[in-house]
Amino acid sequence: MADDWVFRTVDVSKAYGETTANDRISIEVHPGEVYGLLGPNGAGKSTLVKQIIGLLKPDSGSITLGPFDLVDDPDAARQLCSYLPQAQMPIESFKIREAVHVTGLIRGGEDAAVRRRGEELIAALQLGEWAGTLGAKLSGGVRRLTGFIMATVWPGKIVILDEPTNDVDPLRRRLLWEQVRQLGSLGAAVILVTHNVMEAEKSVDRLAVINEGRLIAEGTPSSLKAEDRGRLRLELMLEPGAPTPDLPEFVRHDARVGNNLVMVIDEASATAGIEWSQRMMESAGAEEYALAATTLEDVYIRLTGHTSEEPR
Amino acid sequence: MTTVADSRVGLPPKRAGVGHWLAGFRAMLRWEITNMRLLLPITMMVQLLSGAGLVIGFGLLISDMPEQVALFLSTGAVVITLILVGVVMGPQLVAQQKLDGSYDFMWSLPVPRSASTCAWLVLNVFIAIPGMVGALLVAMWRYDVSFAVSWLVLPAILLTLVCGTLLGYAMAHSIPKPEITQLLTQFLIFAIFGFSPISYPAENLPGWLAELHEYLPFAHMANVVRDALTDGIAVDVGRSYIVLVAWTLLAAGLSGLVLGRRK
Repeated sequence: MADDWVFRTVDVSKAYGETTANDRISIEVHPGEVYGLLGPNGAGKSTLVKQIIGLLKPDSGSITLGPFDLVDDPDAARQLCSYLPQAQMPIESFKIREAVHVTGLIRGGEDAAVRRRGEELIAALQLGEWAGTLGAKLSGGVRRLTGFIMATVWPGKIVILDEPTNDVDPLRRRLLWEQVRQLGSLGAAVILVTHNVMEAEKSVDRLAVINEGRLIAEGTPSSLKAEDRGRLRLELMLEPGAPTPDLPEFVRHDARVGNNLVMVIDEASATAGIEWSQRMMESAGAEEYALAATTLEDVYIRLTGHTSEEPR
Repeated sequence: MTTVADSRVGLPPKRAGVGHWLAGFRAMLRWEITNMRLLLPITMMVQLLSGAGLVIGFGLLISDMPEQVALFLSTGAVVITLILVGVVMGPQLVAQQKLDGSYDFMWSLPVPRSASTCAWLVLNVFIAIPGMVGALLVAMWRYDVSFAVSWLVLPAILLTLVCGTLLGYAMAHSIPKPEITQLLTQFLIFAIFGFSPISYPAENLPGWLAELHEYLPFAHMANVVRDALTDGIAVDVGRSYIVLVAWTLLAAGLSGLVLGRRK
């Protein structure tokens, strides 16, 4: 690949009054890469993204793409970055085909090429059936996919996708991830903003975990999981409203979401963990338990103290 | 594989210049018109009905209307429809974008801000025309008046529309909370309709308010449009043009500032 640029944020900080939304965040993304930006709600992911695309200005720090300074030159930022926001696209009055085509033209694409690429993406995501349907009549999932096509029909060098699979059915999710991968071969890098850790684990090359405005971990999914090697996830479903029981010493870390208690234990403590869980079911209002291999989710819980399924 | 692959290896140069501006303007105008497609017929209809309704309504207030009064009131109605498009409907559309979350997407698109703004102005001109024509036709039919349309009609109406639209645009973009924008537009309807010397002479207002309207654009909008549509009713039109051009420049500058600003 002839692409040799690098996208960098260096020590990007941004505060709203007393609240620090971003605290010296530095990331580096390369062409062809799918880079995950993970973190709980309010962690500062959206603030970072808005600074990248030139809607907000950092208080300090730099954002560059190759020779372009995206802080000094928001026009260049908008040309070089395409953005799929988390909110639905405003396409009530547009047929899918029109929304895609006009967006491609706005992004600077040439008419016939935009049309061709739009049709390819509509076919690849199996949306042909609705290509002539008005946005107002589309389901949430189909609108989401249309938004994805609008953001990628004439992609910038950085494609920022904020929760692209929201409302999308499992089959088309798979098709969408294929297209995300293909963006790399167009010389683009993808920044995937998500709270869905399981999905990110399968689809990103590298990822950063952001919590309370700080970057608290960065690496490949397997390097981040390295610390949890030889550990297991123990999940205990409590009866609604039951208090969190006292945890045994072998629990390395834990998080509770609703009635679900998620813990990480050493493999050596597996038997003890099962026995403890069974006791909890007899005496402490637990309904069931499960023991499984750790995933990136457990790393995420360890780092942020949140599970990725908490209500947003 | 895909059709854009070959052309997009490496970093493209930054696009700039007249060609880039025009392409952005054309594409944004296409977006705006398609975006209004479902609402356009009903918006134009509402404009038409409000223009016609105002003219007829004035007739209910004053029975047996002399021709000069009829001319004054019906040109006032025209101006009100033009102002309402810019300072009420436009800001409400922007507020709606902020509410439904599409605002950030629209402003992340690589179009020069001034090209987006011009596309917006053109859309507003389209929307405003039926109400204006409707008000004039109804006045001719209802009061049997004839207008003396001069060549100034084009600059007068465009200046009124562009000034109002840019004022509304700057307001809507600079107010972060869309709910506030919506409240403010409600207030503006009230203030413009009731307390601006558009359909009545400034002398009817308390002195200080009449004085204030010397510097606000609304009365001057009425004056230039009236001058372009009638003979001998409008006075001191040159000054009105100067005030309006100043307001238009101010509103354009404010819009540029607000749209270029990053918090």
